[in-house]
Amino acid sequence: MFDFNHSNLDENGNPGAEIVSRIHDRFGNFPVHVQKPDLIRLNVPQTDIIPLLSWLRTETPFVQLTHLTAIDWLEEDEFELVYLITAPSLCISLMVCIRVNREKAEAESVFNLWLQAETYEQELHEMFGIHFPGSPRQGVPFILEGWQDMPPMRRDFDTVEYCNRTHPERPGREHHDSRIYVGRKFGEKGYLK
Amino acid sequence: MRKFDPDRPWDLTTLPTTMAPKGSKPHAPTDDRCFLGAGDVPAAPKLQEAVATIKNWFRASSLNVLAFGTGCGAIELRPLSTSRFDMSRFGISGAPSPRQANVFIISGYLSTKTLKRVIRSYEQMPNPKWVVALGSCTINGGMYWDSYNTIKVLDLYMPVDVYITGCMPRPEALIAGFDYLMQDIKKGEANGWHHYLENLEWYRDNQKKVITDWDLPNYSW
Repeated sequence: MFDFNHSNLDENGNPGAEIVSRIHDRFGNFPVHVQKPDLIRLNVPQTDIIPLLSWLRTETPFVQLTHLTAIDWLEEDEFELVYLITAPSLCISLMVCIRVNREKAEAESVFNLWLQAETYEQELHEMFGIHFPGSPRQGVPFILEGWQDMPPMRRDFDTVEYCNRTHPERPGREHHDSRIYVGRKFGEKGYLK
Repeated sequence: MRKFDPDRPWDLTTLPTTMAPKGSKPHAPTDDRCFLGAGDVPAAPKLQEAVATIKNWFRASSLNVLAFGTGCGAIELRPLSTSRFDMSRFGISGAPSPRQANVFIISGYLSTKTLKRVIRSYEQMPNPKWVVALGSCTINGGMYWDSYNTIKVLDLYMPVDVYITGCMPRPEALIAGFDYLMQDIKKGEANGWHHYLENLEWYRDNQKKVITDWDLPNYSW
């Protein structure tokens, strides 16, 4: 176990310099972006994610998976998976980001490292359609029940069109801006007052 | 049931209990006539009317609200039930189980997943029962009008007796809504539950359109 502590500061006073240099020594020069003194972003190739996370989990204070989520980069045809790994003893977090192909959305499961990843991966499978082979409860309904459309958090899912198709409006409703109705009843001035 | 005897008008066992004030639909089938359309036995009309009025007065004065908060509006029920706005002044109290409740407050937005549980709870409540829809989400979707998993128009899926507008309505608005509900019950006009049983197929069709994994029974309790 490395000796991480707050005395290992870089010249800017950031406590994360130690872990970044360790990762660079071991895994190569990933692009690093220090977003805040205690939040460091790493862009990692997809093949390196499991060795990196295993090493963080077993040999460094970064033992906690705080969050696992996805970002849909529709224009680049990619999903970005963000693993937020926290060191509770140092109060530093690492945002480890990988890119996966959007058409064949598949990533390796980290269920073996953190049991709670099971729930995150189940949700990502349901909301984004990202498949994690080997993770339990893949495809088991989590939040949505009886969902028959495409995963709703994908950006090409047209929410308004789906909503208008599934949930009818009350007859007589013309617009969704309440300013029009209020203005019609009280006058625009009365609304602005 | 015995036939009505004009010599013994005090004998209430001879009265058809489905009688309600003039112009309203029958209320609360009880005893041996638990099913719709049964038992329109002619009896002394004035006495029936009087009994129905008394019954409706009792019903209006003992409302039991089901403890089921569907959306953010449930936060308004806490001040309503506790000392500041004290709803027990009006004879309104809470009920933990649908079997003991007769008022269902749909408090705010309703996702399709919750709608299924709401229907299940609503159908387990004994008749007569009333639905109070709270907030603009139940009327036209409110701020969730473009959400993929919340319904917009509540009365396609359940009968609604009182709508309370606002986002959020304050507890005073809820009390005003309950006041309307009580007046309607006393007049015998709050018959949404009856409408639900009469048009069950229409409601079921609408419910099945949004609840795609339908596993509720097709009958109603």
